[in-house]
Amino acid sequence: MREPDSPPRWAETLLEALLPCEDRHAVTGDLREEYAEAVLPELGRWRADVWYLRQGLSLAPRSVLREGGMRKVLLLVSVFSMACGGWLIAMELLLRHAGYATRVAVDASISLVPLATILVILLHPGVRIERWFRLCGLVPIAIAMWAFVGNARSAHFEGFVLIVCLALTLQGVLLLVSLGKEPRGFRLGGMEETR
Amino acid sequence: MADLLGAFEQAVLLAIVRLGANAYGRTVLHEAQASLGRQVSAGAVYTTLDRLEQRGLVRSRQEEGTAARGGRPRRYYTVVAEGVSALNEARDTLTRMWSSIQWPAEGVR
Repeated sequence: MREPDSPPRWAETLLEALLPCEDRHAVTGDLREEYAEAVLPELGRWRADVWYLRQGLSLAPRSVLREGGMRKVLLLVSVFSMACGGWLIAMELLLRHAGYATRVAVDASISLVPLATILVILLHPGVRIERWFRLCGLVPIAIAMWAFVGNARSAHFEGFVLIVCLALTLQGVLLLVSLGKEPRGFRLGGMEETR
Repeated sequence: MADLLGAFEQAVLLAIVRLGANAYGRTVLHEAQASLGRQVSAGAVYTTLDRLEQRGLVRSRQEEGTAARGGRPRRYYTVVAEGVSALNEARDTLTRMWSSIQWPAEGVR
């Protein structure tokens, strides 16, 4: 249940997950204090929530660029695109429209790259392997472009295609730039950063 | 000579100096907005505070939070000697640069 003078809980939780662990509570505390004491009384609930989201977005680049932050975002995006791929496979197998086998193969590739990415992030197979693995970032980007161009011509372009394409593109770009370059700053237990 | 401070870095450092013992993220944001005369995003302030701390110009410490913050701690900032030197240097440079120019500056006629 949301407290009466607090920002949206989901936004606060998401922000805490993205921020570096050493100051996540201090930053969200500052924002919560500002929200309750200045923004909410002045702007009202809806506009205050928009203000909070804007502040959260302004903090995102800082979180991503700090040590371990990019891997954390990559992990979240990979989990999302893997879930999307799993959902697409389940729907194809359930509906079994013509040519579903090919689409299941494409959906499986949507799931396999993020699955491999998650394993690489969590298991740290070595900087050299991670550097080579970065090239896998081209796969989700290619799939996203193919799906986007293919569906853009269709009369019923579906919103979820756009969302999956954006997630895949972000995943691919992060994969290309982060692994092998950024120092290992991620540990499974409690999503803590190691320094 | 160390890297010269940018205008926003100076605004944040001066905000910390003015606020004294009450300089934490939220108050620094307000003070920077007041001195610059424009809205400033929280992201810009925290990024600058991080950078200043990494450059050894400010120091921070965490203290317990209040109920309004849901019990979350406050991180207070203090300008250290290197930060004061950097501010003085920035001011000196600016004064030197303007020394031969009549204020307000006029374009070539």
